[in-house]
Amino acid sequence: MFANFRQAMAWVHTWFGLVLGYVLIAVFFFGSLSVFDREIDRWAVPETRFAAQPMPSFDTVLKPVYDRLRAHPDDMAATALRVQGEIPHPDTLPLASLYAYTTHRDPVLQIGGEFAIPNKPIDASDDHQHVHGWASIDPRTGAYLSEDKLQVGSDFFYPLHYSLHLHWKNLGYWIVGLAALIMLAALVTGVVMHRKLFRELFTFRPHKRTQRSVLDLHNLTGVVALPFHFFFAFTGLVIFAGIYFPLSQTALEPLAKQHEVLQAERTGLPHEPAGIPAALASVDAMVAEAKRRWALRDMPGEVGSLFIDHIGDENGYVSIYRAGSDQVALVGQGVHFKASTGEVLREDPPLSPVFSVNEFLTGLHLQHFRHWLLRWLYVFGGLAGCVCIATGFVFFVEKRKRQLAGQSPAALVRWVDALAVAAVTGMLVATSAMLVANRLLPEDLLGRALWQERIFWYSWLAALAHAAWRSAPVARGLISPAWREQCWAYAALAVAAVLLNWLTTGDHLGKTLAAGYWPVAGVDLCLLASAGIAVKAAALLRIREGVRKRVAEGTAGTADSSALDTTLEPARG
Amino acid sequence: MAEGGLLLLATVSCFSGMAWLALAKSAHWRQVRRGASQSAGAMRGLQVAGSLALLLALWLCLLADAPTMAALVWCMLLAVSAAAVAFTLSWRPHWLRLWLLRRG
Repeated sequence: MFANFRQAMAWVHTWFGLVLGYVLIAVFFFGSLSVFDREIDRWAVPETRFAAQPMPSFDTVLKPVYDRLRAHPDDMAATALRVQGEIPHPDTLPLASLYAYTTHRDPVLQIGGEFAIPNKPIDASDDHQHVHGWASIDPRTGAYLSEDKLQVGSDFFYPLHYSLHLHWKNLGYWIVGLAALIMLAALVTGVVMHRKLFRELFTFRPHKRTQRSVLDLHNLTGVVALPFHFFFAFTGLVIFAGIYFPLSQTALEPLAKQHEVLQAERTGLPHEPAGIPAALASVDAMVAEAKRRWALRDMPGEVGSLFIDHIGDENGYVSIYRAGSDQVALVGQGVHFKASTGEVLREDPPLSPVFSVNEFLTGLHLQHFRHWLLRWLYVFGGLAGCVCIATGFVFFVEKRKRQLAGQSPAALVRWVDALAVAAVTGMLVATSAMLVANRLLPEDLLGRALWQERIFWYSWLAALAHAAWRSAPVARGLISPAWREQCWAYAALAVAAVLLNWLTTGDHLGKTLAAGYWPVAGVDLCLLASAGIAVKAAALLRIREGVRKRVAEGTAGTADSSALDTTLEPARG
Repeated sequence: MAEGGLLLLATVSCFSGMAWLALAKSAHWRQVRRGASQSAGAMRGLQVAGSLALLLALWLCLLADAPTMAALVWCMLLAVSAAAVAFTLSWRPHWLRLWLLRRG
């Protein structure tokens, strides 16, 4: 089928890259935004624009908060499908375990817990008989944050990055996983195809014809960020390995259960409740003891995560983990206490090499550490991935345009180009439309969160429809005007978002910059900067469109590259 | 604050390293030196200087952060620096004359 190995690799790279590129570019883009998910949350939920808070006192603040926590309606509905009979009213369900998680960037605290239910499962092997509840709270007062105040960064962009919001049978996870696997294949095949990897490492020739310069940019962004692309595709797969290979719930389930029991024996942390009621001792005293022990190990720190199991039972225990602000791993150095007395059951020893590697791989992807330079470097890596994929699309289209010019319209190339417009500029339009909706929708609108999400999806669909409608010139070897028009649409929406933030909250850039309040100032500045780039791109596209048109008319449909290059000369800034 | 300074130095060192490695390639040398030819010795020297500067950057990263973190920062700095050098060569190649320690 193929004359040589390199051609076979090129075929894999082209077609797999094309099909899954549309998924990958969304994964890369929303992954890049997720680096600053907490900051986008602050922009989108103005009442949470206050400084990051440490874990609040459990005894005085959190205890009453958990008393008010109820099973989430979504999980009640999901669990009802798995169990026999009707689940009792949420108010009557006892809290069996609870958690709280925070990082150095969180003003609000994420809490949650599991509620025990008396129902038997429909499938006897399904041993998870709990319903879950979760919420975000203001740790200064203990007040619950309304779910209709959608935290756009961590509740929408971030899950979009790894699940595409396709929850039916975890389909989104599988598509993203497949895309990550193809990404690894595309990197390997790309390196094989690239004849001059080192010789042309620093080569980008923006003034050559489009096909050449986009290939330069494709190679450049692919090669310089190769370690980043490789590691993020790989660690992404590691993080969800449990979903892709659910061995502990399928083939190896008996072994996994036995392991849990043995581990409980080894660590002294009870696996099962004793059935004897017991009160909870002061958790604040346990936190103080954990902090004292961290300081003794020469690594003083704040609490990152708190977990209590078998609540109200003699076997209950409290686990306190140190926040990983200064390390790659998320949290660590756990200290575990007997819940009823506060005595120390166990202090986690330093991790074995296998676990350290796993924590490093997970931590480097999820990045809860305090390192602003590295965060921005990750954004660069993610956006380089987007550029690499986008230039891949453009190269695909340009190469075929030259073969097609003057012939009958080719549906494939038109559709690839229209989908590329939707995947690149359309994605930006949808994102900025969502931010505009976030500021424009009435504060007390019922289903405000849902409406923001709908506007995101509808504007993305509208961008696709617009791109398809405007794609006719592509078949004649010209540039689709949709690219330029959507650049303008994005620029307008981004500027509108900044202005609306000012109008609705009073937090304009002068104020946020003067106060050094970077979460909101940063989002505003990025919106303005990207709007500027979009306007510049639109202007350059206009020049190229005109040049192409003249060349096409002048040479009766055969786009001659030397003529194109000469005509482009005046356009070089 | 000292960490910030170290990371700034690491960034400068990384960019310089990539600039010298690029200048060791004759095509880029000609872009920057407007057609002047390059001696084999100069090329070798640029390669050595470039590699040393990248190693210096790694050392500075290690001084600033824990080793696991430093490795990540260094890898990403390599990527950004290489891209920055490539774009400088595309649009403002004469700026890199500064890295040859000459004006002409």
